Amino acid sequence: MSNAALLAAPLFWLTVTLGVFELFDTASKRSGRHPLCHPVLWSTPVLIGVLMATGTPYPAYKAATMPLSFLLGPAVVGLAVPIWAERVRIRRLVVPISLALLAGAVTSIVSAVGILALFGAPREILASIAPRATTTPVAMAVAGQLGGIPALAAVIVLFAGVVGAMIATPLLNALGLSDYRARGFAIGVAAHGIGAARAFQVDATAGALASLGMALNAVVTATLLSIAALLL
Amino acid sequence: MLRAIFLLLVCQLAGEAIHRATGLALPGSVIGMVLLVCWLALVPRERPGLAAVAGWLTAHLSVMFVPAAVGLIDEGAALSAYGIGLVIATVVSTVLTLVVTAVVFRWALARFVAEDGV
Repeated sequence: MSNAALLAAPLFWLTVTLGVFELFDTASKRSGRHPLCHPVLWSTPVLIGVLMATGTPYPAYKAATMPLSFLLGPAVVGLAVPIWAERVRIRRLVVPISLALLAGAVTSIVSAVGILALFGAPREILASIAPRATTTPVAMAVAGQLGGIPALAAVIVLFAGVVGAMIATPLLNALGLSDYRARGFAIGVAAHGIGAARAFQVDATAGALASLGMALNAVVTATLLSIAALLL
Repeated sequence: MLRAIFLLLVCQLAGEAIHRATGLALPGSVIGMVLLVCWLALVPRERPGLAAVAGWLTAHLSVMFVPAAVGLIDEGAALSAYGIGLVIATVVSTVLTLVVTAVVFRWALARFVAEDGV
C-alpha cells in the first residue's frame, strides 16, 4: 500500500481516533470524570488539527471512520435495555414520569429554538439545536432528518451535557428539590448521558432515573420533532 | 453474544424500514429502540448477553460520535455567525429544562403517587 493510500484507509484513521480518545479518556478518569474534562471535548479539536495538518478532507475521514460511527445505531437500539430494566419503577411512577418528560421535552425544544431564532439563525441551525436534550446519536439523526447539521448537533448536545452536569447540583439545591428521583430524572431529560454519569456519582437512584430520563426523552423529543416537521 | 448483536441489528433494520416506509422524521434507530422494548415485553426471559452488549455499547457511546463531531471542521462559518446565540440558547434551555422537569416531577409525585416509603 502506498503512503497516500494508508493515510486514507480505515486502519489509519480508526487507530488515530481511538488513540487520541484514549489519551483524553485517561486524563478524564484522572480528573474524577469532571464534565469539563469530557474526552470528546478535547479529542475533537485535536483530531481536527490532525486532519488540517495532513490535508485530509473531512469526507475522507468520515468514510474511513465509518465502522466506529456505525455502532451508534445499535447503541441507540440498546437504550431499550435500561428502559425495560426500570419497568417496575416506571409503572409505579407513570404519572410523574410522563408529565415531567413531556414538560421537559417541550421546554427544551421551545426555549432552545426560540432563543436561537432571536439571533436570526436559519432553519438548518435551528434544526441542529432542536434535539439538544437528547443523547448525541439521536440528536445527530434527528437533526439530519430535519435538515440540520449533525456535527453541529453533536457539539451542541455535548456542550448542553457539560453545562447540565456542572450546574445541576447547585441549581436543584437552590430550588430546595431534595427528592433524588426528581433530581435524577430531570438531569437525564435535560443533559442526557453526561448528566446521567454525574447523577450516578451522587446517588444510585438518581443515576437510574437519569438513564431512564435520557432513554425516554430520546423517544419523546424525536417524536415531537417528527410531528413538528410534518406540520411546519 | 452473537444473538444479542443480531437482535439489536434486526430491530434497527426493522426501524429503518418503518422509517423509510412512513417518511417519518423519527430515526430508524429510535424506532428500533421502541421495537426492542416491545420485543422484551412480548418475550420475557433473562437476557444476560443482551444486557452485556447493550451495556458495552452505551458505555462507549462517546468515542462513537467523535467522527461526527470532527465534522465541525467544515462548519466554521455557522459557528462564527451564530456561536454566541448557540451558547446562550443551549445554556438557558438546559437550565430551564432541568428546573421544569424536576418541579413537574416533584409536583406530580406529591399529587398522584401514594408513597409507601420506597
